[in-house]
Amino acid sequence: VSSDTPAGEKGPAGKKAPAGEKGPAGKKAPAGKTTPAAKKTPSSKDSASARNARERARQREEQALRRRRDRRIIIAVAVALVVLIGGGIAFQAWRTSRAPSATPSTPAVIGAPATITSGKPIMLGNSDAPVTIRLYEDFHCPHCADFEEEFGATITAAQDAGTVQVALYPMSFIDQGSATAANAMACAAEAGFGQAYYTGLFANHTLQWSAAQLNSLADQVTGGKTPASFSTCVDQGKHADWVSSINSAADQAGVTGTPTMFIQDKPVDIPNLTVDQLNQLIASAAK
Amino acid sequence: VTAPAEDAAPESGSLRRTRFEQVAPWISTVVRLALGAVLLVAGGLKVIDPQTSVQAVKAYELLPAGLARLVGWGLPFVEIGIGLLLILGLLTRTAAIAAGALMVAFIAAVASAAARGLSIDCGCFGGGGAVAPGQTAYGAEIARDVGLLLAALWLAWQPRSRFALDHDEIEENDE
Repeated sequence: VSSDTPAGEKGPAGKKAPAGEKGPAGKKAPAGKTTPAAKKTPSSKDSASARNARERARQREEQALRRRRDRRIIIAVAVALVVLIGGGIAFQAWRTSRAPSATPSTPAVIGAPATITSGKPIMLGNSDAPVTIRLYEDFHCPHCADFEEEFGATITAAQDAGTVQVALYPMSFIDQGSATAANAMACAAEAGFGQAYYTGLFANHTLQWSAAQLNSLADQVTGGKTPASFSTCVDQGKHADWVSSINSAADQAGVTGTPTMFIQDKPVDIPNLTVDQLNQLIASAAK
Repeated sequence: VTAPAEDAAPESGSLRRTRFEQVAPWISTVVRLALGAVLLVAGGLKVIDPQTSVQAVKAYELLPAGLARLVGWGLPFVEIGIGLLLILGLLTRTAAIAAGALMVAFIAAVASAAARGLSIDCGCFGGGGAVAPGQTAYGAEIARDVGLLLAALWLAWQPRSRFALDHDEIEENDE
């Protein structure tokens, strides 16, 4: 079809010899045949390719728009992740280094000082109590904190009632804070507020237990009446040897994990223990 | 002749969608939500107790103390972040690749602890640290992480899913 078009155009344009007769015929014939087709085909082609071009441009634009939107989403997500993770790390750093809290609201009464003897536990409670509970705990052991949360009040009540005295072995195998807390626990017992300090240590077990935090906890526990000897004891790590002697004592007693509890030298299955059972065990041991 | 063919192409393409192409997004939906939930829970349980989380990392004896602390504090939030992206179905493929990389790292760490004869809990869902020699569960821990890795690989391969914030276009651009 397309080859006719130039011929038809050439026909009238090319002034050849038989112009008179053939000219109009030659003009007519191709014109009549080809013009409608010629007119139709290129114009429909033009519009189709124009449509295609427009379509492609539209797609390109859409794609560019999508890409820009995707980039925005990626940037937003990346920023959110950085904020989440960075903020999270900062939050955890704050949680472990802040001052202790959640201590008993009533200041502890400073009682009789306990003596700290190498390899021997800290005794908490009435020394005439008929039942002795041996407790092996690490102040940074999460299960010990759970144990304390579940059974601490029960044991403390029995101590207050004069039924139970606790022989505490503060072990220190988890980290640096376990040892500094165990040392401070000995200092507190020596200064006469061991029981309240013990509760405070577990109530704040997420802290890393720097000297400042240990001193701050003592001030909260005693209502600001901490003897000066306590902070010296904490700052100098006075009972470091005792702390390691407790680890050895626990080893010798065959204690492999914390918390471990013996009631009158009988091991207690802590994972399956309930508060009621603990009360029964104490009651039957007291008979 | 070419113009109508161009118009018809996507139609016949969608008509030719296979059974796999119809089912895959639903599988991906389940995999995405499950993997996301596991990561969210694992991260959440670790966030509660930063001291324990740091201790769990230190127990592997792979990182210096400073870095172990950073990982112990930060890793739970990484898990939460990836878990949230997966649950929302946002940047699914990228999140799945990140989750897969995390699983590879976990598997390597647990395997290395086992190979070195350490007696630790993986601390995967909180807790962690030393356990009695008979109480290790390295086999089960690695098996679980391999399962999660397979889930992540599936999602990286077939990120399109239902109930996701991602539009198909995002994934097409990724391809």
